[in-house]
Amino acid sequence: MNQFSYLKGKSQEIAPWPHIVEFSKVKIQTLKANSFLLEENTEFKFIYVTEGKYYWTIENQTYTVFPNDVVMVWPNQTFGSLNGSYEVGSFTILTLDIPNCRDIELNLGDWSNISATEQKLMGGIICQKMQSLIPNFKKFGEILQKIEHEIIASEIGYNAKVNNLIDDIWIQTTRQLSNNENSGRIFPQTFHKLDLLLRENIAHSWTVEEMAAIIGLGTTTFTEKFKSFSGFAPLNYLINLRISEAIKLLKNTDQSLTDIALGTGFYSSQHFSTTFKKLTGFTPGLIRKNK
Amino acid sequence: MDCILTIDISTSSVKVCAYDFSGKLVAFRKASLSIFYPHPDHSEQDPEHVYVTVLFLLRDFINEQILPSKYKIETIVFSASMHSVLPVNNKGIPVGNAIIWADNRAKKEADIIKKSDYANQIYQNTGTPFHAMSPLAKIKWIKNNQPERFKRVSKFISLKEYVIYQFTNQYVVDYSMASATGFFNIKEKKWEDMSLDISGIDSSYFSDAVSVFNSDLKFKPNIAKALNLPKNTKVLVGSTDGCLATLGSGVFKEGQATISITYSGAVRVAGDEFIKDKNQRFFNYILDNDIYISGGPTNNAGVVLEWFSSHFRNHKIKHDFEDVVEELFKEATLVKSGSDGLLFLPYLLGERAPIWNSNARGSYFGINIKHESKHFLRATIEGVIFEIYSIGKILENYRKIDQLHLTGKYASLPICASIISDVFGKKVILSDEVENVNKGAALLGMIEAGIFKNIEEAATSIKEKSVYEPNLANNDIYKKLFNIFERLTLKMGEEFELIEQLQH
Repeated sequence: MNQFSYLKGKSQEIAPWPHIVEFSKVKIQTLKANSFLLEENTEFKFIYVTEGKYYWTIENQTYTVFPNDVVMVWPNQTFGSLNGSYEVGSFTILTLDIPNCRDIELNLGDWSNISATEQKLMGGIICQKMQSLIPNFKKFGEILQKIEHEIIASEIGYNAKVNNLIDDIWIQTTRQLSNNENSGRIFPQTFHKLDLLLRENIAHSWTVEEMAAIIGLGTTTFTEKFKSFSGFAPLNYLINLRISEAIKLLKNTDQSLTDIALGTGFYSSQHFSTTFKKLTGFTPGLIRKNK
Repeated sequence: MDCILTIDISTSSVKVCAYDFSGKLVAFRKASLSIFYPHPDHSEQDPEHVYVTVLFLLRDFINEQILPSKYKIETIVFSASMHSVLPVNNKGIPVGNAIIWADNRAKKEADIIKKSDYANQIYQNTGTPFHAMSPLAKIKWIKNNQPERFKRVSKFISLKEYVIYQFTNQYVVDYSMASATGFFNIKEKKWEDMSLDISGIDSSYFSDAVSVFNSDLKFKPNIAKALNLPKNTKVLVGSTDGCLATLGSGVFKEGQATISITYSGAVRVAGDEFIKDKNQRFFNYILDNDIYISGGPTNNAGVVLEWFSSHFRNHKIKHDFEDVVEELFKEATLVKSGSDGLLFLPYLLGERAPIWNSNARGSYFGINIKHESKHFLRATIEGVIFEIYSIGKILENYRKIDQLHLTGKYASLPICASIISDVFGKKVILSDEVENVNKGAALLGMIEAGIFKNIEEAATSIKEKSVYEPNLANNDIYKKLFNIFERLTLKMGEEFELIEQLQH
């Protein structure tokens, strides 16, 4: 295995991607005292372990990290080893210049192809728990190898390709977290989580595929389970939520009908008024008048 | 053919059923409701979403299941869970979310009232124990902790009243729902002055209290049209899930008790007067003139079985709790009655009846090296039933109980029914009704239509499906275990307090 260490500002190899702070493959052959003391972490890090067994402490909690495990360390978290050094073994570090999880939102930056809404949804999964350890995540290692290969080969289009692969790292990480979270769970528990996410992002143009992915089920099974549990097909349930939210806004605010329509995920005030009247028996205007 | 449409707004779902006038269930549909836990002690529901869910479920039910059939809706009857408090302003607009029965924020308020000089008199008049679930304590909490919100309120209603208000533009509450508030004098059937006085409000803060048979309500024309409801559909205020589950399981007289195990659980009896327990352990609701439903609720019923199955067993995501618990119950039959001496105290959520201690916590006792995972499973089920028995045993001081009627998804499973029979040492009867609450509501509609003379006659129309006779050898083992169960619960009072302090 070849070691390498690319550092921002020092290594020409990673210059095309200013958001990559470090990309290194490290092999530890002997214990060095004080090589890894507990310190405040500055930039976001992914660490993927390939050999050995590590005891790392993040925010006062010590994790045992095995090969194929991924560790995530956020800015301002304390990170290090209680005995002050790295154990023998090897791992890959990918450090990225991204802001900390704030208000449960992920903000990757302009280089990413993931849309702002999707980043928000992913943030809902990644930032909610700020989980530090993702065990047994081989796929992560495979993507890191692809990134390494692209950087070394420098073939045409490698600039975009590396960014795509970093996007992929975030997507796979989100999926892995969501699958770990959901496996062994019973549908009503995962439903509750999705329900909250829908309510928080009511204006997002949700698709059934997106919802199914969050629960970690295929679209067909998801739709069937969703309907039998909630009593409504997924998109109809979403309309129920939108109408109830709209009723609240009509009764409690002075927002215009257009603002309410768009804010609750309808295409236009016309679309909103027709749907609203058909479903509730009243026009939004009448609800507003009785305020 | 005419049919009765019943709507039960329970905590986790809305269920609508259609019954023909012989009492047969002809159509069914349900939708889930969401509960929010913004703080550890808070449990809330969004009134607009509850209303929209009821409205849309009804619309789908009528359009897809009733209109294409030969049935025509003659009567609508409402039911709902008890103890929810929804503050609304003078325009009928909710001031925040509804606080539901499971909410514990008003613990302190309930304690203060319970220790006061007037507590006994209020219990004698209202029949409602002092506990955070009681609207009496909840309204006091809002007043003490959210004075700004309190000022904007002109009425405190339940979620059922809100849905009815949205449909009909009228504020009405049935006697049984009113008698779950702690504000209702169940002897005189009017709002209780002492409760109003200590809360600093007057009776204008409540809806008009009416009989469960009241049929003065009319749907707003726009809504009737949106729902495709026939003109002149009769609307009955109806009752509560607690009262109707009792009626819908065929219980109406001395000698009978109903045991309900859903998410929470309860033991209930019916009688012509209410139970004035000196320790204020039992609730009393008035269903009709001289018919009181009394009993005790437990927090730790189905929820404990769901807890065990989600944390100690691996399941596929596609399962519902009901399927999972049903499978678990089969595994439990591999262990002898009494779980070879493994005992479980089920107080995961603190406890209401009979110990009324919010700090109580669960434990397994008597573990030895031979106990396997399946023993823990069986002990968990038995522990939940011991807790139910501890309520039933005290109720027997006031009412003779010869036979038990079961309702709720978990109680009706065969192994559960036979453990209940063995623990109580009494005959257990399962009816052929699946939806006891909705069936109870349909019976109200049938009484109002003159098909039955009264509640008694309606209750006797419930048919037995199967009967479980107690096994006396098992009953003997359970008696010995229950003795230890009771002693442990009593002994651990102080330890419950101490351990609870470490759980924040």
